Amino acid sequence: MLDRIAQLQEEVKNASSIHIDSQWLNYSGVTEYFSEELVISVKAGTVIADIQNTLAENNQTLPFYIRNENQSIGAAYAIGAQDLSDSVLGVKIIDGTGELLNFGGQVMKNVAGYDVSRMLVGSEGQLAIITQISFKVIPKSYIVSLEASYKTTERSVLRREIESRLKTVFDPKGIFN
Amino acid sequence: MSIVEELSRVLPKGILITGEENTRPFECDGLSVYRQKPLAVVLPENIDQIKQVLKICKTHKTPVVTRGAGTGLAGGAMPLSESIVLGLSKLSQVKHIDAKNQLAIVEPGVRNIAISEAVASYDLYYAPDPSSQIACSIGGNVAENSGGVHCLKYGLTVHNVEAVKILTIDGEELILSRSDQGLGLLTLMNGSEGLLGVIVEITVRLIKTPDLARVVMAGFGSVRDCANSVADIIKAGVIPAGLEMMDSFAIEAAEGFAQVGYPLDAQALLLCELDGTEEQVQAELDIVLKVLSGASSIKVSNSEQERLDLWKGRKSAFPAVGRLSPDYYCMDGTIPRRHLADMLEKINELSKKYQLRVANVFHAGDGNLHPLILYDANVEGELERTEEFGTEILKLSVDMGGSITGEHGVGVEKLDAMCHQFNSKELEIFHKIKAAFDPEALLNPGKAVPELHRCAELGAMHVHNGKLPHPELERF
Repeated sequence: MLDRIAQLQEEVKNASSIHIDSQWLNYSGVTEYFSEELVISVKAGTVIADIQNTLAENNQTLPFYIRNENQSIGAAYAIGAQDLSDSVLGVKIIDGTGELLNFGGQVMKNVAGYDVSRMLVGSEGQLAIITQISFKVIPKSYIVSLEASYKTTERSVLRREIESRLKTVFDPKGIFN
Repeated sequence: MSIVEELSRVLPKGILITGEENTRPFECDGLSVYRQKPLAVVLPENIDQIKQVLKICKTHKTPVVTRGAGTGLAGGAMPLSESIVLGLSKLSQVKHIDAKNQLAIVEPGVRNIAISEAVASYDLYYAPDPSSQIACSIGGNVAENSGGVHCLKYGLTVHNVEAVKILTIDGEELILSRSDQGLGLLTLMNGSEGLLGVIVEITVRLIKTPDLARVVMAGFGSVRDCANSVADIIKAGVIPAGLEMMDSFAIEAAEGFAQVGYPLDAQALLLCELDGTEEQVQAELDIVLKVLSGASSIKVSNSEQERLDLWKGRKSAFPAVGRLSPDYYCMDGTIPRRHLADMLEKINELSKKYQLRVANVFHAGDGNLHPLILYDANVEGELERTEEFGTEILKLSVDMGGSITGEHGVGVEKLDAMCHQFNSKELEIFHKIKAAFDPEALLNPGKAVPELHRCAELGAMHVHNGKLPHPELERF
C-alpha cells in the first residue's frame, strides 16, 4: 500500500485539475518537535489548535497571529502573510509534476538556495501542494502582542507577470486551481 | 561599439573604471582565493545611471555582477571574466528615518553599522550585526540574508527588512513589501545573491535599544558540557540575545589578541548575552546562572565596558586566528543544536586526518558553525586539502539535518556542496526561479546554484529515495 505522500504524487501525475484543501489532503499530525531546538515540524493538514496544545506542554507557542485555531496549518500558510513567513524554517512540497521536493529544513539559519519555503507563503494552493512545514517556535513569555498583518490588494503589472511565471515554474501544466 | 566604449560615452566622468591596474581592487571579494578581472567596473551615483548600465549590458548580453562593500565570504561578488561589475558603494545615503514607526529608508551602499549610528539618537538600532558590520553594506546584507551574533532573538536580515526596491535586468522598478498580497517575493529577494534583481533601496525595521545588556562568560572543562549547556539554557525558557561558543584553540587565539581575561585553561567557552529591561535581564540571569552551575568558571559583566570587553575577544576571533597562520578558511554550516558536541568531535577527528589545525567559533544559539581551518597557501597541496576538509564538514552538516551555509551564502565557493544538499529537481526549480526574473541569465550568472552537469560530474549526486535522478545522463 502506498503511503499518503506517494498517493498524492500519483494523483498529481494523473490529474488535470486539483483544488487543494485540508480534507482532500488528508494528511495531519506533528511529525517532529524539539522543544530545546525551538522547532516543530507538522503535516500541513494539522489543525492549529492541536499544534498549540503540543507546544503548550513546554510553555511554547507559534509566534504569529492566528485568525482561526480550527483551521489547518496548511490553510494558514497558503493565505499567510509575512508574520507567519518569519517563523517558517522549511517545507516539503509536491509540485505540479508530482515531484516531492524539500526546501529549507529545521535550522534557524539557512541561506543555501533561494528561500522557497518562505516564498510559497501566500501562494494560495496555486503553485504546489504543501505537505509538511517546519516552524520556529518561542517560549510564551517572549510574546508581547501579536497583530494581524494587513495586506495591500494592488499588484503591479510587472509583479503579476513575475508571479505567473513563478506559477509555471512549480506547476507547468497548470493543474492547481 | 564595444560595451566599454558605450558605457564611457553614456556615463559621466568618474563612474567607469577600466584597465588592469584600476580594476584590480575589484577582482575578488572577502574570499580572496578566487580572483577574476572583469571587463570594467561602474560605480554609479544614482538609480538612473544604474538603469543605463543595465540597459547597455542587456543589449550587449554582458553579465552584471552587483557588488556592495565586497566583504562577502563566498565569492558572490567575484567578477566573471566577460562581466561588468556594478558597485553600489556610492549610493550611501540614509534617506529617511521614521522613528515613530521604527523604520529607515536607506540606499544599498549604506554600511550596516551606519544605520544604527544614524538612528541612535532615537534610541533605536538595526539588529542584524554581521562581524563585518563596520564595512559591509545593507544592500549586500539583503542579497546574502546576512546574520550575526544576535539572530536567535532578533532574526536574520529577512526578518528585519520591511521593503526593498529592486531593478529588474530590464531596468524596471519593482517594490516588494511585507504587506504585499501574493507570493513572498520580498523574502525571495533576501539571500538571492544578486541573481534576481539589483537592490537599489531598502526599508529596514529598527528595534528599541534595550535598557540593559549583560554578558555571562562561562568556561567549561569539556566541549560536550559547554554544548549541552546551550540546549539547557533554551530548554529553561530563555532566549539569549547572543549565544556564542569557542573551543580552546579559539579561546587561546582570541585571548592572545584581545587580552580580555578569557579562561585559558577551559576546553570551551560560552558567551551568553541577555538584554531587555533591568528586571527582565535579572530574571533571565538568575535562570542562566543556575543552568551554568556546572561551569568551571563564570563571569558576568558588571558594566557596559566589561560587556564590550568580553565581546571583543569573540569579535576579533577571526583576525586573532589570522595571526597564527598565513591563511585560514572559514566554514559556515548550520546544524540542529543537539548535534553541536558530536560535530565538534568529528571536526577534531578530521583535523587529525587532514593534519590541519582548526579553531572553532560557533553561533551556538543558531547552530551556526564557523570552523576556521588554518593552512598555508604557499605549501603545495595545502589549499586543496583544506577545501576537502571543509567539504567533509559541510556534508556532515547536511547529514545532521542542517545546511551548507547559514549566513555567508553559496557564491562560487559552495557550488559543489549545493549538489549534496539539493537533488537535481530542486536545483532545477532554482534555475527556473532565476529565469522567471532574468530569462537571459545576465545577473551574476553561474553563482549560487550549480549547473546539473556539475553535480553529475562531481559524482556527489544527491541520491533521492534510492534513485539517481536523470539516469540517462552520462556520468564521469
